[in-house]
Amino acid sequence: MTRVIAITGKGGTGKTAVAALLIRYLSKNGKFLLAVDADADTNLPETLGCEDVKTVGDAKEYLQAEITKPKPDNPDMNKESILKSKVYEIIEEMPGYDLLVMGRPEGSGCYCYVNNLLRGIMDKLTLNYDVVIIDAEAGLEHFSRKIIRDIDDLIVVTDASRRGIRTAERIRELVGELDSNIGRIHVIANKVTDANYEALVKLAGELNLDIIGMIPLDPKIEEMDIKGIPLFEIPDDSIAAVEIENIVKKLRI
Amino acid sequence: MAEFPFEISPMFEGERVRKEGMFVELGGPKSIGLELVRSKPMDEIEDDKVTIIGPDIKEMEEGKTYPWAMIFNIGGELVEPDLESVVERRVHDFINYCQGIMHLNQRYDVWMRISKDTAGKLDSLEPFGKAVMMLFKTELPFIEKMQVTFYTDEEEVKKQMDEAIEIFKARDARTKDLHDEDVDVFYGCTLCQSFAPTSVCVVSPDRIALCGAINWFDGRAAAKVDPEGPQFEIAKGELLDANTGEYSGVNEIAKKLSGGEFDKIKLHSFFDSPHTSCGCFEVVGFYIPEVDGIGWVNREYQGMAPNGIGFSTMAGQTGGGKQIVGFLGIGVNYFYSPKFIQADGGWNRVVWLPSMLKEKIDETIPEDLKDKIATEKDATDIESLKAFLKEKNHPVVANWAAAEEEEEEEEEEEEVAVAAAPMMMPAAGFQMPAMAAMPMVSGGAGGIKLTLKNAKISIDRLIISEKKEKK
Repeated sequence: MTRVIAITGKGGTGKTAVAALLIRYLSKNGKFLLAVDADADTNLPETLGCEDVKTVGDAKEYLQAEITKPKPDNPDMNKESILKSKVYEIIEEMPGYDLLVMGRPEGSGCYCYVNNLLRGIMDKLTLNYDVVIIDAEAGLEHFSRKIIRDIDDLIVVTDASRRGIRTAERIRELVGELDSNIGRIHVIANKVTDANYEALVKLAGELNLDIIGMIPLDPKIEEMDIKGIPLFEIPDDSIAAVEIENIVKKLRI
Repeated sequence: MAEFPFEISPMFEGERVRKEGMFVELGGPKSIGLELVRSKPMDEIEDDKVTIIGPDIKEMEEGKTYPWAMIFNIGGELVEPDLESVVERRVHDFINYCQGIMHLNQRYDVWMRISKDTAGKLDSLEPFGKAVMMLFKTELPFIEKMQVTFYTDEEEVKKQMDEAIEIFKARDARTKDLHDEDVDVFYGCTLCQSFAPTSVCVVSPDRIALCGAINWFDGRAAAKVDPEGPQFEIAKGELLDANTGEYSGVNEIAKKLSGGEFDKIKLHSFFDSPHTSCGCFEVVGFYIPEVDGIGWVNREYQGMAPNGIGFSTMAGQTGGGKQIVGFLGIGVNYFYSPKFIQADGGWNRVVWLPSMLKEKIDETIPEDLKDKIATEKDATDIESLKAFLKEKNHPVVANWAAAEEEEEEEEEEEEVAVAAAPMMMPAAGFQMPAMAAMPMVSGGAGGIKLTLKNAKISIDRLIISEKKEKK
């Protein structure tokens, strides 16, 4: 069975960094995985050390333009197999894992049909992998459209800020409203310092949020960020990488 | 079932063969790939035969990409050229059932990969060809005989490609020539029912889905693969009226899927029992009572139509899966239909189009009407539209004279009717109970139809006067 894990949170809390660290750890430890960047502001590829990726959005636009031509050249074309081909073509084959970028939001027309095709393709594609890690924007648009239907774990990343934690609470409410299949919700506190630790635990407790990991503010990450080194290359013994290992154990992936 | 060196199952359908695990790539983005199914007389087919022209697996170099063509010949008592495309669509499915073989795309864009694992079990493509043909004959029993030729030699592939492109062209010409009367079934689509619960999208050869994305062929393919899915067959039933496109089968499904909301859908009618409008439509048509004509506005057009409202407001008014007499959502391709609103005058009734839409569909507008249909450059309101149509002598102008004569006879009735139409305009976009009011113009003396739901109306005074006697 494929384990599908989505990672979300307020912008700036470091959800993409957490996603990249999880992808790094799991792919290095024998899990064959699909990384999905489902945030329109696509940062994951760069964090993983991959540039100039094509997106599912491009593939959808291509098909949408093709099928809504006023007078199609081939009315009997197999749209599903064309879209599937485009999606398979844009999957970036990284060492030990695949990367798929959802990309831009759709245009103004009706995408019901194209999204329905995409849903079917994603259902089958995800079966290829042990784990699917999705870097998702806080609005959870791709889930509300049910492009990715079943999520086993939803991880909300927050920093110590009140707004970060409030976002976590809101996401929990949003999940309740979506009629999506989401198994469990966890919270990872990121950029934790000695100074904000206590306040964070207290606030999380008040909101009844289950924190499964606390990633300390890691000077190594900041340093790599400034130098433009992909986070994927972080050393195993950095404090953030060590905490990710603990989280993976808690999640029993 | 014969034994094959690899597993065969539908569960391998989405299997992805990665570069790391790939033995060779056939066709695809870096090369050329072709698949073609042809119907042949039974005596020209050597059943179950696999021919390989060019390097076979044992002569291939690991990691390389080869040009690729596969030509399947099928025969059988029921096999005819029209079935070629139906059979060809299944090539994608059946090849993907084979473990370790990935097939993508179609026709002249085919892309395949063979995994190292599977290639390790094969010296030749022959068992693969036999497996695929076994699947075809099992799942599509009308295929009595089948043979296949695989090409990996570049010159040969190019030769096959050139021939195939001509065959596809001829086939496309045939499909474009398919009409409602040529088929026994239409297809329904309920993808939009999540937000337009009573919408019944009927897709026929002469009528594309409102979203413009699903045509009759898509319906056929989807319904075959998943009959329980969002696209399904509608038996046409009895033809009740060829002009309006009324079929007993369509009426039945309309009644069923709308939960009894309405009991008729006439496929090529604008005024009487029109197709429902979901909200997804690419273009919305609107009746302009003052000129007795129909204008159309597309989703991309930002401005106002001559009736003073824009696409989004009209879409809000029209959508939701209702039959709104006076408005009609369509897919752009419906303009190309030879049956385009034929019940209500077809192109002769079209008086206004945004210039961008008019340019886009230029080739389908009848030559003698091209100059007579106004755009926002010619008319922005009813008065200027009227003047334009009169100047160009648009076919609707002839109806004005006739209507004026009748108007004198039935002054009262017309007054009510014309007044009813503008009444609904301000309501557009507001939370207004579903309401439809429109004169039955074509018949002249047809009166009006008012449907009020959950409406609260308070009236101080209501005067209903007797119809004036003819002078």
